[in-house]
Amino acid sequence: MKASRFINISLDKPKTVTAIIMLISLILGAMIVKVRVDTDPENMLSEQEGVRIFHHLVKKEFTLHDVIVLGVVNETHPDGVFNPATLKHVQELTEFSKKLADPDDPAKRVVTQNIIAPGTVDNIEQAGLGQVRFEWLMKEAPTSREQALAIRDNAMSNPLLKGTLVSENGKALCIYLPLSSKDFAYNARNQLLEKIETFAADNGDTFYITGLPVAEDTFGVEMFVQMAVSAPLAMVAIFLLMLLFFKKMRLIISPMIVAMVSVISTMGLMIGTGNTLHIMSSMIPIFLMPIAVVDSIHILSEFFDTYPSIQDRRKTLEHVMDQLFMPMLYTSLTSTAGFASLALTPIPPVQIFGIFVAFGIMLAWLLTIIFIPAYIMMMKEENLAGFGIAGKSKAGANDTLMSRILRWLGGFTYNRAKIILALSMVALAISAYGISKITINDNPVKWFKKDHPIRVADTVLNSHFGGTYEAYLILETAEKELDIQGTAKLVTRQFENFSAETQDNKEIASEALSLVREAASSSNSPDEFFNTLTDQIEEKQDAADDKAYDIWADTLDILALVKNRDQVFKNPEVLRYVEGLQEYLLKTGVVGKSNSVTDVVKKVYQELFEAKQEYYRVPDTVNAVAQSLISFQNSHKPDDLWHLVTPDYKKANIWLQLKSGDNQDMEAVVKMVDKYIAENPPPVQLDHKWAGLTYLNVVWQDKMVSGMLNSFLSSFGVVFVMMAVLFRSILWGGLAMVPLSVTIAIIYGLIGLIGKEYDMPVAVLSSLTLGLAVDFAIHFLERARMTFKKMGSWKEAIRDMFEEPARAITRNVIVIAIGFTPLLAAPLVPYQTVGVFLASIMATLLETWLFKKIHT
Amino acid sequence: MNRIFFTLLTALSLLSFTNNAPFAAESPAVEEIVNKANLASYYGGDDGRAEISMTITDSQGRKRNREFVILRKDIKDGGDQLFFVYFKKPSDVRKMVFMVHKHLDKDDDRWLYLPALDLVKRIAAADKRTSFVGSHFLYEDVSGRSIVDDNHELIQTTGDSYVLKSTPKDPDSVEFSSYTIWIDRNNYMPMKAEYLDKEGRKYRTVEALLIKDIQGFPTVVKSRVKDHVAKGETVSEFTNIKYNVGLAEKIFTERYLRRPPKAVRK
Repeated sequence: MKASRFINISLDKPKTVTAIIMLISLILGAMIVKVRVDTDPENMLSEQEGVRIFHHLVKKEFTLHDVIVLGVVNETHPDGVFNPATLKHVQELTEFSKKLADPDDPAKRVVTQNIIAPGTVDNIEQAGLGQVRFEWLMKEAPTSREQALAIRDNAMSNPLLKGTLVSENGKALCIYLPLSSKDFAYNARNQLLEKIETFAADNGDTFYITGLPVAEDTFGVEMFVQMAVSAPLAMVAIFLLMLLFFKKMRLIISPMIVAMVSVISTMGLMIGTGNTLHIMSSMIPIFLMPIAVVDSIHILSEFFDTYPSIQDRRKTLEHVMDQLFMPMLYTSLTSTAGFASLALTPIPPVQIFGIFVAFGIMLAWLLTIIFIPAYIMMMKEENLAGFGIAGKSKAGANDTLMSRILRWLGGFTYNRAKIILALSMVALAISAYGISKITINDNPVKWFKKDHPIRVADTVLNSHFGGTYEAYLILETAEKELDIQGTAKLVTRQFENFSAETQDNKEIASEALSLVREAASSSNSPDEFFNTLTDQIEEKQDAADDKAYDIWADTLDILALVKNRDQVFKNPEVLRYVEGLQEYLLKTGVVGKSNSVTDVVKKVYQELFEAKQEYYRVPDTVNAVAQSLISFQNSHKPDDLWHLVTPDYKKANIWLQLKSGDNQDMEAVVKMVDKYIAENPPPVQLDHKWAGLTYLNVVWQDKMVSGMLNSFLSSFGVVFVMMAVLFRSILWGGLAMVPLSVTIAIIYGLIGLIGKEYDMPVAVLSSLTLGLAVDFAIHFLERARMTFKKMGSWKEAIRDMFEEPARAITRNVIVIAIGFTPLLAAPLVPYQTVGVFLASIMATLLETWLFKKIHT
Repeated sequence: MNRIFFTLLTALSLLSFTNNAPFAAESPAVEEIVNKANLASYYGGDDGRAEISMTITDSQGRKRNREFVILRKDIKDGGDQLFFVYFKKPSDVRKMVFMVHKHLDKDDDRWLYLPALDLVKRIAAADKRTSFVGSHFLYEDVSGRSIVDDNHELIQTTGDSYVLKSTPKDPDSVEFSSYTIWIDRNNYMPMKAEYLDKEGRKYRTVEALLIKDIQGFPTVVKSRVKDHVAKGETVSEFTNIKYNVGLAEKIFTERYLRRPPKAVRK
């Protein structure tokens, strides 16, 4: 079969082919205008993902929002931030924040009523003899030093505020701005920065803005900017390289067109099919571009090398296509398999990324096959004159540096196979050690360089406060519900105890007990039982004299206690258990601070008893807890309680402030909590679950890692099968897998060795490496076999291989490596480049070794 | 009696007035409207008793309930008043009492009795615009906004209402920038009040939902406060309303906090 017949149409009707290609890419490209941008890393999880659903449920149930943390630090003023000038700025920023909204979409705004700032938090405080007062912590900016210090002292004495709103050294203060929508964070930060710009700088205040939504949203925005810079840069780099290789400007425009058309059509199709432009998919162009030109480079390289001897473009093209058709098809198929395997990950944006890169690669292949020949046919024959290594004999043809190095390398592999083998083994062993050292960790804030303002803010604020990363530990009662008989039994037992207390109780208790029996037999549900019984006791109570009235009232109390026993977060024992858990959390070193309903109860109880230290504790009865809590609700912001407990008191939220957003740290906290709860069973059955952005990141990154591993293994298998089919030999197929396996091992070994953490970009790298590294093996092996057939001797074949086939491969390695270097300019993902660079170089080195091995 | 819960309205009775209404000629003066509203909603008896069931609904539709009895006695018509609020539900706050001695010429005296803590606590009068036991009503709605705190003007007279706009004299002392109040032209009952926040957004509405005649007094038996920002509301329903029940002044003293008067029973 002559592969060249596939290009007959391009050779015969180059203009028609070109026109059709342009038309299709224009149609697809037009869809790009429908683009919808999505910078939310939360979308790394499917919307149906359990933990995500729970996270949103928690946010809704406890009225929690994603929060921007705005910090002000004053290291120079003796009173720290608690001086009138700084507090005036704080007050101004608070008022400014209340109105902060997206000008284009006012629904995206700061949730005014949930701002935590000195001017918006209520404080319970002593107000003279035996009086308490609910007062805004900072009703208006202070005018005197005394007032400023009073604000500090009040904040410091409130455990809910200390370490959250004010730093313990008084030098820093934080405002927490909840957002109605996370993707408003970048815009909000910019508006705040503008406002801060207007402040006189003479007061020694430094302002910082951080928080996960800011980091994530800003990252998204900056990522797009970088992609917009990097993709064209990659284009230019590739163009210059090819110019260097092939010298003919007119000729190398064709691969650029292939790359452009591939990228535009792929992006158009992706957007046209309703997908959002996510952080992941924004990387498609820069991935696709170098890969798209690879096949063209093979064609041009071969054309470049053979045209001078054939001197007829049609015949040259036919010859080139016969040589390259199969390897190009298979390399494209394997790269496609590498990326398509990402569709197996459970992470939607990665799936989209994989599928469309895969599509783009096949499209680029098709374009290369039909467009490059058409393009060459459309060139004037005289423009090709002098093209290639013209007029010289083959032996002395290539005296470029690359040719000489390759020739030397060919000799080296042939003569020093054992050394290469040994070196590879050593490299593998070191890699194995490196891989064992890999730590899986990520933190969106660390996607920024160390000197990025967000990263700086993160460091500074976390040194002053309990932490700017939020996680929510949700506790929920898991007590079983009783049936009517069980309920009645419980009430009966309580009434019997009550009866035994005093003689007066006895008579009424026995009456009450008969009411219990009646209600139990007439009711169909525990609720009905309670309602019936309550009504009947109230009737008795209304008819009773003063003394009996009170006793009847006591029975009502008892009944209510039994009925409300599922309101576990009014139960002092449960609150103390939460207290113990919180104390334990502080010992983890990661949790800087935690707030819970227990803290509220303790603080209110203490203030009710004249702020005496010994009353800073959970009171002893359910009613005392309930009455402390209802006292709290006499404040300006009673609903603040519902951030920490649901109104039915069945669920509580321990709000954790973490000093680090690293997955590892969050995971450590999760494990420690599991351990604590296992070792210290709660007084009632409690379920615990996590929510919050910091935790969400852990979940999707875990999925990412395991998903990537699965997809990598499966694509590894697919590629192996392809290799075996291509070479019609399992042995050759297996051998083709060796270089890429070693390459990947070395890359990951290196990542482990240099201490780079396995994070999102590194995970994506594996599929890229797999897809590309195998390309070189295919080209090398396929063409080695062809040459062997022609030459009849491996020694001859090898010498031939290190001429033009090796040059083509080397050119590609360099294009790919250079094509990704613009990413180096992007501070967000520099390691990708390093990885790819190494991948390419290693791949070629190892192929040469492999080839030698087959021979011997 | 329930009117005490509508007191931002009764507070009207005690206002300082400014009449800049352009249509003053056809409408009574602000002074007169306020006086009549004051009469209609305030002088309905020397004392009163009512049982209130309050349903607090939050933005998620979660409901909480408060039940309590209110006793009120006027020391002098248009002058000082005494309130005794005795809680029945939720059951874990039963017997809790909130007591107010409302004064016109000085800060109110306020007490809170917490039975489970066996504690009587004075509450400083610094800021009355705090929540009443977690509801959307404010303490100031219970004991009444002071007579001289706002300037009022008649801004409109509609078919059935006089519309007044009230602006605080000390804007820093309150969270609103102004409120508008609709007063029924027939019986001078305040029907609705809307509050604007400092940004000029309407954030709070207080409404009389149902008015009944009780012992000859037009009486609000159902009222509602809506929070337009956080999206929640509290509805109060009044039952067993009685005027002129003959409450003794002595029951409004600290002594009765721990030992509630018989009048809180039915």
